[in-house]
Amino acid sequence: MFYQSRLRSITLILALGFLAAYASFGSYFAREIVIEITILAILAISLDFCAGFGGMVSLCHGAIMGISAYAFTIMSVKLGLPSVPSAMIGLMAAVVFSGLVGWVTARTSGIFFIMATLAFGQMAYTFFFKSRWLGGDDGMGGIDRFDLSWLGVDMNDALVFALFGIAVLLLVYVIAAILLRSGFGRILSGIHSNENRMQAVGINTANHKAIAMAASGLMAGIAGILAAQHTLYISPELLIWTVSGEVLLVVILGGIGTLIGPVVGAIMLVMLKHELSNYTDYWHMIVGMVLIFAVLAGGRGIFGQIEYWLITRHPPKAPHLPPAKEKDLA
Amino acid sequence: MLEVKHLSKDYGGITVIRDLSFTVNAGERRVILGPNGAGKTTLFHLLTGVEKASSGSITFAGNNISKMNAVERARVGIARSYQKNNLFEHLTIRENLMLAAAAATGKSRWFFRDVTNQADMKTRIEETAEQVALTDQLDMMVSAVSYGNRRQLEVGLALATRPALLLMDEPTSGVGPAMIDTFHQLLETLPRDITILIIEHDMDLAFSIADHITVLNFGEKVFEGTPEDTRGNPSVRQIYLGNGDETYGASNDHA
Repeated sequence: MFYQSRLRSITLILALGFLAAYASFGSYFAREIVIEITILAILAISLDFCAGFGGMVSLCHGAIMGISAYAFTIMSVKLGLPSVPSAMIGLMAAVVFSGLVGWVTARTSGIFFIMATLAFGQMAYTFFFKSRWLGGDDGMGGIDRFDLSWLGVDMNDALVFALFGIAVLLLVYVIAAILLRSGFGRILSGIHSNENRMQAVGINTANHKAIAMAASGLMAGIAGILAAQHTLYISPELLIWTVSGEVLLVVILGGIGTLIGPVVGAIMLVMLKHELSNYTDYWHMIVGMVLIFAVLAGGRGIFGQIEYWLITRHPPKAPHLPPAKEKDLA
Repeated sequence: MLEVKHLSKDYGGITVIRDLSFTVNAGERRVILGPNGAGKTTLFHLLTGVEKASSGSITFAGNNISKMNAVERARVGIARSYQKNNLFEHLTIRENLMLAAAAATGKSRWFFRDVTNQADMKTRIEETAEQVALTDQLDMMVSAVSYGNRRQLEVGLALATRPALLLMDEPTSGVGPAMIDTFHQLLETLPRDITILIIEHDMDLAFSIADHITVLNFGEKVFEGTPEDTRGNPSVRQIYLGNGDETYGASNDHA
């Protein structure tokens, strides 16, 4: 069950502060890294929302993000709509797709759920890959960033765009936190804990999970719009299942079911990737070892483990320990 | 309050409940007795809608609920506690009760408002905790409390939905004598606006709380009456309490 503890708030402020400082005082390259982190972190929050709190370990979050990016690009580039309405339509497409995936797959669980979401994701990937109108594997370009000149800022400036990304990340975190604290989110945690009992007290758990997937899809869709605006170009590569796999890795690395953990995980992964690739081509192996260590050391992830240490050392009146590791992937 | 008519359930060729009819009045405490495999838990599955009856009808509070699914039946006020603990394991007792109360009050559709600090929720959680004697353990994790406390919470989850009809499947299964006394007290203090159907193997408890007793054997009703009549009935003694007649089991090996 989700609680926005003081530790989590402090971690959030530190993480966003670090990103803002890194973008502000770093090079153009540093700003690109920050944007990459914000997109990955938003997607990871979206996945943690349904996997960590609803027990729905999805392997189609890359596809949800990609569908949003494609719908946005089709509207703005192909049909010439202004960017804000196009983004709204992009988000709607993501919500509809993920809600549909949730509705179909909500009656399955565990490995079957994972495989079903993988199938949906690959179907979406193949569709865009094969579509000539949408550029096939070449994708589409010609995207414009949001026009924020009325605020006196130029979104084509890398620093401005990086700060915009950080603001959007904060927004998504707040949306997720509010949803998880609400009656809806509490019941979602209850379904994760014991779906059968939740039905026995009068909850249509399949519908509830489908709505949770749709909400998660909204957040993934936001990542998609940001991704399209970042590179100004999209391709089916956004939807490949390995994108979803990497997001899952980030969630587990940071701490599944903690909401802030995925943000920490995204920062760690992207920074590690860029720092290590300066020294060795085998950086994947090092990231792999870090992940194995994180999983073996209690399965709580980096943030999750630190939180666990602090809570067990100074138990609050009502201890809310993160759930045991095997529950989350089962 | 509850009217069961000609209820039957078979799995393939095996009939587990056969042409069962009975009526429970509002506020009544009805004990269901019967040996292992008599169909008691199956009866609860049929009443809660977890399983569909093969034939027959169930009327609850004047409405035919035979076609309703489990979720709909829970919403009209039928709650159930389980023979084996079926709790929200990694949460505290307070959170467990909160989930049941939030579900029963339609707060699963509150997308923005927190439910944990709502005054009505707090009252309901605390009242339920008091009913099942868990006030002191409210903030403990389910995994950290005793088995007996979990049995109490099992009933608490059902009570937190404020049911009109409560089905209790062996609430005292696996607990010691002291805890049986706790359950005895719990059952006696529950308000009479809750109708209770209870499967219970502890005879002292069963006979002292029951208004009426229904005895099942091989899925059929073999007796129904007051505790006194049940105690005195020779066929019930034979089936359930045992009279040392070894040939009885052998003559019924078809089931």
